[in-house]
Amino acid sequence: MDLAFLGETLLRLASAIPTTLELAFVSVSIGLALALLLALLRASSVIGAACVRAYVFVFRGSPLLVQIFLIYYGLGQFDAVRESFLWPFLRRPWWCAILALALNTAAYGSEIIRGGLAAVPAGSIEAGRVAGMSRFTLYRRIVLPLALRQALPAYGSEIIIMVKSTSLASIITITELTGTARQIVSDSFRAIEVFVCAGLIYLAINFVLTRAVLLLERTLTPHARGVPR
Amino acid sequence: MTDVVTLRDLHKSFGPLKVLDGISLTARAGETIAIIGASGSGKSTMLRCIPLLEVPERGDITIGDETIRMNTARGGRAPADSAQVNRLRGQLGFVFQSFNLWAHMTVLENVIEAPVHVHKRPRNEVVDEAMALLEKVGLAEKCEAYPAHLSGGQQQRAAIARALAMRPKALLFDEPTSALDPELVGEVLGVIKGLAEEGRTMLIVTHEMGFAAEVASRAIFLHAGRIEEEGSPRQIFAEPTSDRTRQFIRRYLERA
Repeated sequence: MDLAFLGETLLRLASAIPTTLELAFVSVSIGLALALLLALLRASSVIGAACVRAYVFVFRGSPLLVQIFLIYYGLGQFDAVRESFLWPFLRRPWWCAILALALNTAAYGSEIIRGGLAAVPAGSIEAGRVAGMSRFTLYRRIVLPLALRQALPAYGSEIIIMVKSTSLASIITITELTGTARQIVSDSFRAIEVFVCAGLIYLAINFVLTRAVLLLERTLTPHARGVPR
Repeated sequence: MTDVVTLRDLHKSFGPLKVLDGISLTARAGETIAIIGASGSGKSTMLRCIPLLEVPERGDITIGDETIRMNTARGGRAPADSAQVNRLRGQLGFVFQSFNLWAHMTVLENVIEAPVHVHKRPRNEVVDEAMALLEKVGLAEKCEAYPAHLSGGQQQRAAIARALAMRPKALLFDEPTSALDPELVGEVLGVIKGLAEEGRTMLIVTHEMGFAAEVASRAIFLHAGRIEEEGSPRQIFAEPTSDRTRQFIRRYLERA
C-alpha cells in the first residue's frame, strides 16, 4: 500500500469537502422551505393539491441527473432566460446544481412533511380550535410542531441522500468531492484507492449527520422516550 | 341569574341521520347540568355545537349575551365571523373524552398555551395561575411531565386544569370518564365535583348516573335528538314522567 499516495489523496479530497457540504446545506435549506410551502399548499385547496401532485410527480419521477442536465444545458436555450435577471445565476454551474438539488429534494420533502401532517392527531387539532386558536396560531403552535417532529426521522434520511446526490454536480464541472476524485484518478490512474478514500469521506460526513439528527430527535421529542410512570 | 350558554332550536344532521332535532337549553350562572341519554341520542353533538366544533344547520348559540353570527352559503351554513367564534371559544373550557392533550408539550405548557397564545396574557402571571390550578387537580408535582408519561386519570385532570386556565364562563365536559380504566374514574369525578361545589357553570355529558344524581343541579334526558325530559336529578332519576326516561333509568339500574 502506498501510504504517501493515500495521505496525499485524502488531503486533496478534504479540500473539496467544504464545496460538497455547501452544496448540500444550501440546497437542503432552500428545499426544506419549499417542501414546507408545497405540503401546506397541498393541504390548502383542491387546485393547490393538484399542482403539488403534478410537481412531485415530475421531480420524483425523473432522474436527478436529467434534471441537472436540463437546467444546466437547457435553460440557456431560451432567450427569455438569458435576458432575465436570473441569468447571472443560471449561467453558473454552481447555481444550476443548487436549483436542481433544491427542486428535487423539495418534492421528496413535501411528501415526508405531508406524512407528518397526516399523523397529527385529530384530537390535538380539535383541542387547539376549541381553545380559540386562529388557523395561523393552530399551525404554528400545534400542527407544525407535531408534524415536523413526526417527519424528522424520514427527513434525516432525505438529508443523507442529498449529501450523496451532490456528487452528481461533478458532471457539470463542479469540483466537489467526487469531481475532485475524478481529477485525481485521471492524473494517477489509481481509481480504487481514490474512490475508496472519497467513499470513506462521504461515510464520515453521513455518520456525523446521522448522529446530529438523532440528537435533534431526542431533544425535540422527550415525550417519545420510555420514562417510567 | 344570568344566562351563560343559550341554545335555541338546534338542528343537526350527519348525512341522512338526524342527530339534533330542535334542542333549546339555557345554562344559568352556577348551574351544573348533567346531560344523559343513550348512545346516539345526540348529547355529545349538542355539547360540541356550543363551541361550534359541529355547526348546526339551524338554530342559534349564545355565549353570555353574544350570539354567534352565521351565514348560509351554497356550501351550507358556516360562521360569519371566525374571529368572533375564536373569541367566544376562548371564553369556554372544553374537556374531551380522550383528553387531547398536546403530546409535544409538558403538562404545564399545555395549561398555559391558550392563555399565553390566544388570550395574550403575560406568561409569568399565567404560569402562577396554572401552577395553582395544577395544585387544585393534584398534579403540581407532574407539571414538567409529558402527557405520554401520565396515567389516563392524570391526563384528564391535566386537561381539566387546561380548561380552567381559560378562565371560562362555562365548562363543557364530553363524557370525561368514558375513556378511563374503572379505578381511575373516581379521581376525575372528584375533581369535577369540587368544581361544582365552587359554583362553576358546567354542562356535563355523562354515563355516570350516580355521579350525575349527586352533583348536578339539573338533569336533562335526551332521546332521538330532542330533550325528552328535564328536571332536578331527584325527579329524573326517582320519578321520571316520560316512559323513555323510565326505561333508560331502569335499564341502567339493572346493569349496575
